[in-house]
Amino acid sequence: MTTTPPPFDPELAAALAVMGEQAPTTLLPEWIPMARGLGDDGPFELPTNEVLSRDGAFEVEERSVPGPEGAPDISLIICRPTSVPGPRPVVYHTHGGGMVLGNSRMGMDLTMEWAEELGLVVVSVEYRLAPEHPHPAPVEDCYAGLLWTAENAKDIGADPDRIILAGGSAGGGLAAALALLARDRNGPRAIGQMLLYPMLDDRNDTPSALQMAGLGIWDRTANDTGWTALLGEARGTADVSPYAAPARAEDLSGLPPAFIDVGSAETFRDEDVAYASRIWQAGGQAELHVWPGAFHGFDGLAPQAALSQDARAARVRWLHRLLGE
Amino acid sequence: MEELAGRLAALDPDAGAAVQVIAYFDRLVEGRAGLEALVRGAAVLSGCPARLVDEARQVRLRVEADGRRRDELGPVRPEWPSAPLIPGGAPAVWLERTGPRTVVDAMVLERTASAARHVLDRTRGRAPVHGPADDPALLETVLDPTAAEAARLHAARGLGLDPDGQARTIALRGGSQKQLSLSLASGERALVQPVPGPELPHEGRVGVGPSVPVLELPRSWSAARTALRFTAGGSDQDPGPRVVHADELGTLALLSAVVAPGIEPPPDVRALDHAAAAAPWLLPTLYAVITSPSLRTAATELNLHHSTLQDRLAHAESLLGWPVRTPQGRLRLQLALTARHLARNQV
Repeated sequence: MTTTPPPFDPELAAALAVMGEQAPTTLLPEWIPMARGLGDDGPFELPTNEVLSRDGAFEVEERSVPGPEGAPDISLIICRPTSVPGPRPVVYHTHGGGMVLGNSRMGMDLTMEWAEELGLVVVSVEYRLAPEHPHPAPVEDCYAGLLWTAENAKDIGADPDRIILAGGSAGGGLAAALALLARDRNGPRAIGQMLLYPMLDDRNDTPSALQMAGLGIWDRTANDTGWTALLGEARGTADVSPYAAPARAEDLSGLPPAFIDVGSAETFRDEDVAYASRIWQAGGQAELHVWPGAFHGFDGLAPQAALSQDARAARVRWLHRLLGE
Repeated sequence: MEELAGRLAALDPDAGAAVQVIAYFDRLVEGRAGLEALVRGAAVLSGCPARLVDEARQVRLRVEADGRRRDELGPVRPEWPSAPLIPGGAPAVWLERTGPRTVVDAMVLERTASAARHVLDRTRGRAPVHGPADDPALLETVLDPTAAEAARLHAARGLGLDPDGQARTIALRGGSQKQLSLSLASGERALVQPVPGPELPHEGRVGVGPSVPVLELPRSWSAARTALRFTAGGSDQDPGPRVVHADELGTLALLSAVVAPGIEPPPDVRALDHAAAAAPWLLPTLYAVITSPSLRTAATELNLHHSTLQDRLAHAESLLGWPVRTPQGRLRLQLALTARHLARNQV
């Protein structure tokens, strides 16, 4: 089979050319400490509470809540709309960063856009990162935060019956895993899962992963770095839990409706398309968008591009339909 | 996230940013991006709204700094940085920003215009007009008051003019033939420029018509031709203004109806010609006197000692037969010099 990669969308290619080293294609294990520092300042500066408040449209607080059994507390950022009376639907956000990078503020510009448009509560969880904290620490931290959110929904103006799981990249993988965990543990049932170019499959051997090696954003090597940090020796073996790599789940029935988007020119294309197909095959509901010529995280790195604008708009439209408001 | 703009702003505007601007547009061109992507590039890289207008091919689009297309085309402001699609042409790409122009602005404009020209040529055919040889009939039509309105609007588009915008005509004699112009049998050439638009021709004699709505260009043209008759070659034998704006003539314009080649010139003009034949310095000296705020500055301009100028003027007064240093005499001299242009310049 051919390995000719699909071309990048011209606007996205241009943005990539300009960003250069600020938007690296790959990640090696030894670069993780340096990459973690990038969020502290510079172009990828993460939103402060003041930014998250959107000129007072949201009340922002950080809360420490119980972590998983026997593990430290976890921290949640909670953003409540100030002018919409509760209880409101709540977006439970799991940030991206390949399981090894980022914090709970990463990707929040997106979720706050939705929240402002629809008057939503947003809760974003600070989970422990691999490789210091391999599976199941990240997903269990996320699950603990989800439990707290469901149980304490009233305190934060949220409706526990209208939880939307959402995340991008590794955060998309975590959101998908939370949907599986909640189903299997009879936990809080979300009404939707918003999976933005989710990281789902530790095997890292799909045609798109091979095709895009060394290209775009988060290539096969970077993906290997992330999964190996999370799973160690177990990566790629039969021992991998579906709660670590949702693509491993044998049963995708009984899940909340999914929104899945992904670029045609990224590592995750085939595993994300396959996940949507398998949800349909299992009798579930999924909306799938494959954005032609888009690289991983395109809408965040080049938000002005026509494709990015369309991708962002599609998510908001799905939320409107999902919530019926 | 206005990250791209932020990143570029943080860069050294003379080095890094320029390289990135080039890289950005090179990739767009390589990927055969459309016009909107190009204009969006201009907007995002410069951090302000950008627009592209090509009336000839009926393209008008505008993108805001956040990348959103919003074709609300308010009037163009003359202070906005702009670039033409073809060198020397009317502006077609604008950055909607005031204040000092940066190196990056210039680079963004140049790259956008150049890439847009190729996309337009590729996707919408070559621009209908590239020079007078291509279609001088368009100019003729737009200046013809007897042509149907629809025909004139069509011609205006063909010339790259905004049918709802302002334009002016220029009557030109001499100078280079670089610009699109219509040559008339009488020897002058007609130019039409959008307003705001390109500069006036740098050579030749230039009569500038008033800025008018496109359908009123015939009126601007008639005024431009009149203004042209008030111009002079600028030599010692023909001192006077190279460029005359019809708008600035005021009551003087009336003089053009009564003084013309082939009509017996007024006695004062004959007196001037007669005196000029006797004293070669006379015309430039008198012209300096009527265009300078004082005799002292006139002397400086002529590179003469003040007393030498006084001697010359006394001589001129005896040749002409009227004083040129009294207010009334100065006016008479000014009118005579002006009438002299009108007597020499073709209708």
